[in-house]
Amino acid sequence: MTLLKVSGIETYYGKIQALKGVSLDVEQGKIVTILGANGAGKTTTMKTIAGLLKPKSGTVEFLGENITGLRPDQLVKRGISLVPEGRAILSGMTVMENLEMGAYQRNDKEIAKDLEDVMQRFPILKERKNQLGGTLSGGQQQMLAIARALLSRPKLLLLDEPSMGLAPLIVADIFKIIKEIKDSGTTVLVVEQNARQALKIADYGYVLETGKVIVHGPSHELLEDPRIMEAYLGKKSE
Amino acid sequence: MLGDLINPYYLQVGSFIMINIILGLSIYITLSSGQLSLGSAGFMGIGAYTSALLTINYDLPIIVGVIAGALVAGIIGILIGIPSLRLTGVYLAIATLGFGEVMRVFLVNWESVTKGSVGLSGIPQIGRELLKFSRDSGFSPMSIGLKNNQFVYLMVLLILVIINILLIWFLIRQNKSRVGRAFAAIKMDEKAAEAMGINITYYKVLSFAQGAILSGFAGALFAHVMGYISPADFSYHRAVDILIYAVFGGSEVIWGSIFGAAFMTLLPEVLRFISEYRYLIYGLVLVLMMAFRPQGIIDVPLLQKLHLTKRRSKHGSKN
Repeated sequence: MTLLKVSGIETYYGKIQALKGVSLDVEQGKIVTILGANGAGKTTTMKTIAGLLKPKSGTVEFLGENITGLRPDQLVKRGISLVPEGRAILSGMTVMENLEMGAYQRNDKEIAKDLEDVMQRFPILKERKNQLGGTLSGGQQQMLAIARALLSRPKLLLLDEPSMGLAPLIVADIFKIIKEIKDSGTTVLVVEQNARQALKIADYGYVLETGKVIVHGPSHELLEDPRIMEAYLGKKSE
Repeated sequence: MLGDLINPYYLQVGSFIMINIILGLSIYITLSSGQLSLGSAGFMGIGAYTSALLTINYDLPIIVGVIAGALVAGIIGILIGIPSLRLTGVYLAIATLGFGEVMRVFLVNWESVTKGSVGLSGIPQIGRELLKFSRDSGFSPMSIGLKNNQFVYLMVLLILVIINILLIWFLIRQNKSRVGRAFAAIKMDEKAAEAMGINITYYKVLSFAQGAILSGFAGALFAHVMGYISPADFSYHRAVDILIYAVFGGSEVIWGSIFGAAFMTLLPEVLRFISEYRYLIYGLVLVLMMAFRPQGIIDVPLLQKLHLTKRRSKHGSKN
């Protein structure tokens, strides 16, 4: 079943056209990745889906409903949660307060239970729950940002460059967590520059170049496509 | 005897402190969502003139005038707040400062209603109305050993203290609520707050409007305490004074603006004996503050320290 259907979106920054008709589908229960070089429009695509930018034309459908141009808070309510690029931790709030902010829109009685669950999954956050968000390391901040997004109980989790600026070992941890999130039933759309790692956990991939999708296909096909390998993944050393 | 201890002058200074604290709160509340508005003086003027004109021309009770003044300021706050959303930081400060000046020029030039730069006099005063009311109900201030003017100033101060306590209580509660959390998140990182599902448009306009309501409310009270207002009372200087309350006292915490307003109102009065030099010292205090405590006198670590020592001593007494 298609959870998210993006059709021909064109997004502008002032007069500059950043997306020239991007279309993509995200199947429920999968990890889909968007790859591409700097300036290809990956983050713009994410921001348009999350409602932070409004497309000039094209539509975004979520669970069959047209959600184009809705505000981010309306989208969070419908089950789309974004972890922005650069993590966007509230540095002056404690880890616990940051997590509680993730459940901002919820009003049910299971918030406390979900907080407990999230801290089980990220033990480091439990250890540091009274520490200010700004004092965490980069990897811990990324985990906090993901945990916070999960607390809104999203159906679709949008991750914008979760590996950015992190040490390789931590990156491996983050990708493991993304896989676990998928296994627990949340669909994930992830933007990455770290293409090889992303394709290893993803089910399907889209490659963007200057605001357009140039190639898409199942991850294993993309991993084996020599042109893609050369252009985006770097040649294999063998 | 009680009557000898009560000096109307001190009571009046106390009343000004209370009004200025409300103005300090008004700038604190807009700052708490990360918006620097210098429109407080303008909104104060709107509140003052609305209430004064309603009570003078239509004989409405003061309380109705004050509420109307606060509401009109709030409505104009929403109207100004929505387009101002596109502005941040210094740009918002300049735009709101401009708004304040426009209001002042408007009050000066709309002579048929506002009497221009001469100002409005004969505004019903809270104190006099109270005195009239107590006389009508057969109570004489003399019976508790107070002269009429002592009684008047004391009652006005008491009313203002009660209003302040209620306002501070409300704002502290709001800080701990969902609304306060949303304000804090927007102040820390607007994009992050948006991504978390906070409707930032709504909360930013809400905090801007709350600031306008408080300014208008303070302005209306000011009119009915002074009995006379003119556009000069709501000029650029007033806007800067109000800003200094928050900057000097500390804009991060509510107690900062309260302390700043009280201190900055009291200082020129205490220094009255050195008359012409007092603004020199006033300036010196500000320069020293900027050099040694740029975040303002009261900040979170200071409050924590005060709180912790209190807690520790409590703990100690138990053991």
